[in-house]
Amino acid sequence: MLNMNLLKKLRPSSRESSLFIILIVAVGGTGLINPRFLTGDGTRDLLTSTSVVALLAIGIAPIVVMRHIDLSIASTVGLSAWTVADFCAKNPSFTWVQCFVIGSIIGLAVGIVNGLLVAGLRLPSLVVTLGTLYIVRGLVYVVSNSVDYNAQEMPESLLALGQKVYFGLLPFTFLMVIIAMILMALFMKYTKSGRDAYAIGSNPPAADLVGLKVFRRTFLAFVFSGVMAGIAGVFYLMRFAQVDSTAFYGQELAVVAAVVIGGVTIMGGSGTVVGAVIGALLVQTIQGGLAALGVDAFWKAAINGLLLIIAIYADRVLAVRNEKQLLAQRIRERI
Amino acid sequence: MVAKGDLLLEMNGVQKRFGGAVALRGTDLKIRAGEIHALLGENGAGKSTMLKILSGVHINDGGTIKLGGKDFITGSPQASIDQGVAVIYQEPSLFLDLSLAENVFIGRQPKKGVAIDWKFAQSEAARLFKELGVELDPKRQARGLSIADQQVVEIAKALSMNANIILMDEPTAALSASEVERLMTVMKSLKAANKAVIFVSHRLDEVFAISDFITVMRDGATVSENPVGKTDLQKVIKEMVGRELTELFPKTENKIGAVVLEVKDLTNPAYFRNVSFNVKKGEIVALAGLVGSGRSEVARAIFGVDKYESGSVSLNGKALPAGSPVEAMNRKIALVPEDRRQQGLFMVAGVNRNISMESFDRLTDRGLINFKRERSLTNTWKEKLSIKFANQADPVDRLSGGNQQKTVLAKWLATDPDLLIVDEPTRGIDVATKAEVHRLVNQAASEGKAVLMISSELPEVLGMADRIIVMREGRQVAELSRKEATQEKIIAAATTGKRSA
Repeated sequence: MLNMNLLKKLRPSSRESSLFIILIVAVGGTGLINPRFLTGDGTRDLLTSTSVVALLAIGIAPIVVMRHIDLSIASTVGLSAWTVADFCAKNPSFTWVQCFVIGSIIGLAVGIVNGLLVAGLRLPSLVVTLGTLYIVRGLVYVVSNSVDYNAQEMPESLLALGQKVYFGLLPFTFLMVIIAMILMALFMKYTKSGRDAYAIGSNPPAADLVGLKVFRRTFLAFVFSGVMAGIAGVFYLMRFAQVDSTAFYGQELAVVAAVVIGGVTIMGGSGTVVGAVIGALLVQTIQGGLAALGVDAFWKAAINGLLLIIAIYADRVLAVRNEKQLLAQRIRERI
Repeated sequence: MVAKGDLLLEMNGVQKRFGGAVALRGTDLKIRAGEIHALLGENGAGKSTMLKILSGVHINDGGTIKLGGKDFITGSPQASIDQGVAVIYQEPSLFLDLSLAENVFIGRQPKKGVAIDWKFAQSEAARLFKELGVELDPKRQARGLSIADQQVVEIAKALSMNANIILMDEPTAALSASEVERLMTVMKSLKAANKAVIFVSHRLDEVFAISDFITVMRDGATVSENPVGKTDLQKVIKEMVGRELTELFPKTENKIGAVVLEVKDLTNPAYFRNVSFNVKKGEIVALAGLVGSGRSEVARAIFGVDKYESGSVSLNGKALPAGSPVEAMNRKIALVPEDRRQQGLFMVAGVNRNISMESFDRLTDRGLINFKRERSLTNTWKEKLSIKFANQADPVDRLSGGNQQKTVLAKWLATDPDLLIVDEPTRGIDVATKAEVHRLVNQAASEGKAVLMISSELPEVLGMADRIIVMREGRQVAELSRKEATQEKIIAAATTGKRSA
């Protein structure tokens, strides 16, 4: 009996810890095949390549918790990256500061549009953000006019920041991811706005009935996701030091996949930003592991898909087991 | 502080229109502190609309609402909460992913600095649960709570908001007898704390057992308001229905033939145990009992929607395999489910598509649907059941509840079943249509079909059934013939499990 209670107590938070264990196993396994993976360089590469997706995952996790989705993020990354590079090319005096300001403003603008359409007009977010996905990418094509930018047009201070590494393994961009993750995790757990997000996703009609500020929360969630996508655009420049109109094309679902693998339920109401970041890391690690195993890069997409289905299946198994236990408990109470 | 008997809320001539449909045409209601007030009326009488005006979901078009002498502000759930009015809906609106403490304090979480004070929320929720006499764990997730416990959480929420007026929409509809008992205790403790409790219920025995005042509504208007001592069951029923009950239930005597359905020792420990009965050709057998007594689950098990652990079901002398609705349909069983919107119909599909749904085999030419035959099938049943709709392709969600119910019946009657199972066939439909549904079910029996009817309405059970099987908490507690059955005997068996004299 005591054991059962202990298990029950552990379960709600165990999702992140069990994911973390899987991540460690994946990292260790990859390390066995390719020892370089476990060195400072290897870790740094992993974290650098995960930064963009992880930051986007932090951005959309609250939206998914609220039973919405934002598909426009990858296009926003593209618009932000190209526009920031364009400004820098035309204003050689710009430093990384201006880059982040411009990127954030672009993300803010897209977020406001999404937020007004979804929260204000109560249109389905899937369709709205599918629309803005195309509109924003279309804008990138139009404004870029096939112009690409390379490292020489970008501020040195920005590229230097992109190269910066703490303790030999923690790149600047991932440090930012960790800070954002911690702040958001606290926000989601300990503030009214954060808890309202869970309530809204758990039971939308009831959220209206108990008088939650559904419009404001939903709107701000989309604005937040937009800003994160804008900043992720700058991260993209820092990592690749070049940009064209197809930058980050079609990567939105990879972010959604990372979030879902990280335990944020697509039906809303549960999941954490910590889980979302671990999900992003896990996807990246497994990709690295497969590369180390010599698996052809063409398999990347297929493996990602498989991982996603395994994750959702694991959730289902847990849910069914949970339901069975509750039913058994009720039978016991009746007898 | 309010004293017992103080007038808290007064509604006068309240009106509400939805497009062309009038939902309330002049409703009066007086609510006093420290009283339990029952609100009665047929479905469609306007009770739910009235609750929704008080909860801030709807705004009234006419009439006045005074709360403690001041005008009541309608139109926002938050405003109603601020004015001390809490509504507990029939379907509790909890957030299943959140903890109980969180559910109690949702939207008003106690804070310490910028962060939520979880410790305080939990201890406060625990205190409220204790006050209500139901000790639930405030840290537990709401998912998996029984409806009764969910209501307790809702009531705790209302108390934590310092609500003076607590409205409950059919709070006992989904409760077992012992849970009803517990809820009544809670209601009495609210009354003792000088709160006003208003509840809607269709179970008149409960209403008379617990309420101080009874307000009856019909067709969107208040018909009467009486202290419980100044009225009685017969009077209330007459006021609700607006006519004598004898017009309903046109029972005909049918020739009863061979056994069609034989159920032996059917057991699914979660819902029912050792259920055994049979239904014969031309016979109507009613499964009576309170909601939650396992009746619908028995029907679902017979039809194969749910599995059962032990026991057997046979049809026309041949065993029916468990867990296969397809096989059940092949063997000519039809199940008209309890919830027509969720389980019985495809709400956005046309009337024709819904009626022909289970009869496709007879409508197809080499695998393609012959729409001419579908049209004539729809017309046949439209006339037989006098279903009212403008166009065959009209989506069923545009039909009234009564016509929807007739559409489900048509769908299944069109399959010409040997065994017709109807679960709450007249829930939520008006009196005139009710009588028609009764006529149709009777007609099916007189055509030689075996009918198994689940109903929570005693007059319906008494008026329609040849035999009555009473269930209580998953067990079969009595079997009564048409002759020996009375309202009292059924209630006694359903609530105590004992047969009274």
